[in-house]
Amino acid sequence: MTTAEKKKRRAQRARNKTALYGLDIDVDRFAHDDSAVGTLERLDDLSEMDRAIVSQVAFDPDQKAVAGSYLQIDHELILAEMMLQKEGLEILPINEALMKHDWLNDYLWNAVLVDADKYTATSELERYDGYFIRAKPGVKVKTPIQSCMLMRKNRSLQNIHNIIIAEEGSELHVVNGCTSLSTTQNALHLGASEFYVGKNAKLSFTMVHRWSEAVDVRPRSATIVSENGIYIENYAILSPIHSIQSYPQSRLTGMNAKADLTSVVYGSKDSRYDVGGLLTLEAPDANGFVVARAVATDRADITTRGDIIGMAPRTKGRLECDSLLLSDGSKVDAIPRLEALHRDCVLSHEATVGKIGNEQLEYLMSRGFNEDKAAALIVSGFVSLDIPGLPPTIQRVVDETIRMTLDEGSM
Amino acid sequence: MTKTILETHNLSVEAQGLRILDGINIEFKENQVTAILGPNASGKSTLAKSIIGLSEYEVTAGDIIFEGESILDKAIDERARLGIGYAFQKPPLISGVRFQDFICRVCPSYVNKDVDTTLMSESCMLCTQELYNDFDRLGIRNLALRDLNDGFSGGEIKRSEIFQVLSMRPKIMILDEPDSGLDYDSLKMVGRELRAIKDRGDTTLVIISHHRYILEFLQVDTVYILNKGQLVYTGDMSDIPVLEEKGYDKFLAEVAQ
Repeated sequence: MTTAEKKKRRAQRARNKTALYGLDIDVDRFAHDDSAVGTLERLDDLSEMDRAIVSQVAFDPDQKAVAGSYLQIDHELILAEMMLQKEGLEILPINEALMKHDWLNDYLWNAVLVDADKYTATSELERYDGYFIRAKPGVKVKTPIQSCMLMRKNRSLQNIHNIIIAEEGSELHVVNGCTSLSTTQNALHLGASEFYVGKNAKLSFTMVHRWSEAVDVRPRSATIVSENGIYIENYAILSPIHSIQSYPQSRLTGMNAKADLTSVVYGSKDSRYDVGGLLTLEAPDANGFVVARAVATDRADITTRGDIIGMAPRTKGRLECDSLLLSDGSKVDAIPRLEALHRDCVLSHEATVGKIGNEQLEYLMSRGFNEDKAAALIVSGFVSLDIPGLPPTIQRVVDETIRMTLDEGSM
Repeated sequence: MTKTILETHNLSVEAQGLRILDGINIEFKENQVTAILGPNASGKSTLAKSIIGLSEYEVTAGDIIFEGESILDKAIDERARLGIGYAFQKPPLISGVRFQDFICRVCPSYVNKDVDTTLMSESCMLCTQELYNDFDRLGIRNLALRDLNDGFSGGEIKRSEIFQVLSMRPKIMILDEPDSGLDYDSLKMVGRELRAIKDRGDTTLVIISHHRYILEFLQVDTVYILNKGQLVYTGDMSDIPVLEEKGYDKFLAEVAQ
């Protein structure tokens, strides 16, 4: 039996395996797309409406200041384009990449377990698309690469498998937006993402989610970071949704590897969010932090998880879970967890859950802001992602996206 | 005769059920410099916080009159917009809000005051240079991109507070120990800044302090001494050296005779 067949078989066995966290979803309710995939020749061919929608998740259809783009609409249209003709940078649809590179099969379901739960199983067993992005050894791409997954169809499944490889000494910055039309009904987004950060390489991955109230989302991602590698992950979801559950894992397997993971949730309406992540410090001197911030309004139900496991000497990890509760009907469950498996690791955490502090509010009011404006300023500051190590162009896009989203909501 | 800009009538204030101010009558003359002195826990800070209206302090009797009208029913922001500026002793951290952006928001000349507008952008270019000059003068340029009050040192807090309150162009500035915990250089910087405000002659300054240096540098017009929640002495600059020599207990015992 080939490796591929073995993976298929494991997936089949996990077909009905309930996930550890989150609302259980019957994946068979959603139609699996079997239409042929079309190619979008140019981003200029995108309709005005689609352009507006992708722009809301930090994807620039005009491709100013990007090294390349990947856009996927349902499973119908795919565009993968390089703006910057840089030797050693590859951006391809995953299926093309798998045909081109035999070795890529070894990276498929290597970081994420294929039989982790019914969602990874479905991901493997059904038809999938997604991107493959690679920087060859020593290739530093400072300009960001943007990608966007848009869901338009009702009762459909969008099934993604992405792979990013930053090879030894390389550098990549990827901004990924996922979104659906506000009219999209009963859709499920599954996304397996596997990232590999090589020795002395650097990858920043910034993800902005913006969904509609009848969409369920179950991303499954994992990153493996080698010696002296740096991984920076930022995640923001500021829209309502039916439910999302994600628990990305970062494994620091090389000496002095580093991962900084930041997530921000602005919960509204009747949405359920279960987000967070696991950081495992597996090699000596590996270090990193997990910062999770959540704002709960309306009847939003938010769980933020942050787990750090120290497994080797001189490892360091810091965990922060801070939440603001802005309505009576909302709920926040902050679950920070530290596990030390080696006596020479230093792990710490702090967690706060509460309403906006009176002291902060009155301080801003003393500077002339009325109570609502003061509260809005505190909340917008709280959810802002100010990320050290992120190129200023991405930072601006992220700031702008967050601002737009807050603008539209109940704020 | 100089006009009174702010006064309290028989003001009594409680915090957490404890009476801190006990029937205080005090007045601040327009565009003059007034120092409020007194031993620890005499109620100096409470008086200042009651004037700006912090909710921890409950006015149980009396009134606070600003420009002839009671402000007791006014919210903190309304008092601020009327022209009362208060510099905090220990301001809270506001994460995710950059100092330079915040200054723009409190500046009355800035047209786009909505929370969601991008600050320090083209629309604000006119005063960016001026702002940075001001930052330089107060030695806080290094704070421009930091979150508000995030890890500011003692001296940086004082200078940032003074700068924020200045940016609001208030009619009356109440500074709660603007000189505590400052090194000589910072003290000079703050002193020069306050002196410039005084010399401009359009702002009333109320300074709560324990130290002679800044008060003498500013040449205060009136000195009030509070003790146990009451106003116990009214004097001027000439009292400060005597007070320093004798201490509050002896000074107040002698003037009481």
